[in-house]
Amino acid sequence: MLERRSRRQRFLIVILVLVCILLVTFYSRESENGLLHRLQRFSMDVISPLQKGMSKVLSPVRNGIGFLVDLGRARGERDRLKEEVRQLEQRVHELEDMRRENEALRGMIKVKEAYPELEFLVVEVIGASPDAWEQTIIIGAGYDDGLQEYMAVLSEDGSLVGRIITCTARSSVVQLITDEKSAVGARLQRNAEMGILRGEGGGRVHLELLNLEADVRTGDVVITSGMGGTCPAGIPIGTVTEIGEKQADLSVGIVIQPRANMTRLDKVMVVVSPRPTSAPGMAKGGSGI
Amino acid sequence: MNAAHRRLLFTVIILAALLLQVGVAGEISVGSVKPDILLTATICWALFEGPTRGALFGFWGGLLEDVFTTAVLGVGAFAKTLIGYFSGELRQRVVSKSVVWPMLIVFVATLLHELIKFAAWTMVGLEQRPPLNPGVVFGLALYNSVLTLAVYPLLGRFAAREEREMMFQ
Repeated sequence: MLERRSRRQRFLIVILVLVCILLVTFYSRESENGLLHRLQRFSMDVISPLQKGMSKVLSPVRNGIGFLVDLGRARGERDRLKEEVRQLEQRVHELEDMRRENEALRGMIKVKEAYPELEFLVVEVIGASPDAWEQTIIIGAGYDDGLQEYMAVLSEDGSLVGRIITCTARSSVVQLITDEKSAVGARLQRNAEMGILRGEGGGRVHLELLNLEADVRTGDVVITSGMGGTCPAGIPIGTVTEIGEKQADLSVGIVIQPRANMTRLDKVMVVVSPRPTSAPGMAKGGSGI
Repeated sequence: MNAAHRRLLFTVIILAALLLQVGVAGEISVGSVKPDILLTATICWALFEGPTRGALFGFWGGLLEDVFTTAVLGVGAFAKTLIGYFSGELRQRVVSKSVVWPMLIVFVATLLHELIKFAAWTMVGLEQRPPLNPGVVFGLALYNSVLTLAVYPLLGRFAAREEREMMFQ
């Protein structure tokens, strides 16, 4: 009984497959206007209104699926764009660094052109003093590079920054002009009145003029005097920003704004020639140029 | 349920699957993958009803699909008849209550279905046959498997009680 049923099943399958093969054969051999093709076109005409209706009814579903698919794609796109933004930001930072460096180098070239009698060594700033009471920076060159103590140090735009107070084989400590122990021989550019520039700590410096009756005005440019033989004359230091009342000792508090930005020093220029002709009179860490 | 009722049910299910295939499948496509609701229904029906009814379901469903689309008439019917028959044959070999099995069978059967169709097109010498894109075929198999989660329990409600008790659920 089971075998008969099984045989019947197989026979049916064979018949169905044969019908399919016959249909495929007829369909593929007949012309576009053949019976089967016309039947197919007619059926499609019949079903098309239903498909249109379904399309309208199901458009929210279609949109929903589209939204979900787009969401997946959007996430990938977002991650890709994030990575691109990160790379571009990194590139912008690199370019900004290069631009700054380029500007600095241009400034240094100008400084060299302005002082043809001087020789400079461009040195990278590698650190600053951790002591809050000490205004010093550390530069990445020392004896091995031809540096020595008391050499003047300029900023990238040629303004006085300070002088070397300690020198090792490969690094040096520069005392900034804002340091409380710093004293620099200076004069007013307008009338050559001489004085001593002293640091006050906290980024301020003041000028003590030798002539207490000297004519001094706000905006006057202060330059190095060259006295003492450790710093060349004519290096710009800063401008007079404030002139106080006469004190009991007849001195006048003249506040100077240094031209060099002491907090943003990347590279400095050390005057290696002419070399300092004499050491300042005071002990290391508390001296004048 | 008598024979007349069963024939009526058979016809209604085929027509419903056909309507869903021509009217809905295109609307719920994911990318270029359009689910084959008719094929999924054929396999699920065959798993409940056996090889003969599975083959008949595949034949009529495939034939109607061919008639209502621009496909080469007979190719869909041919592929679905074979898939319906062999899926029905599996009913007697795999007995499990898990829905994972029907999903797996649908997945593999979909891959075979597409290969059969492609082979048939090649044999007919159809010049404008669509290229066999493995990504789309794989996506279709996956989509049909997911669709089984809805189609299989639904058809299970209409299957004969004794068949249902024998089968996966």
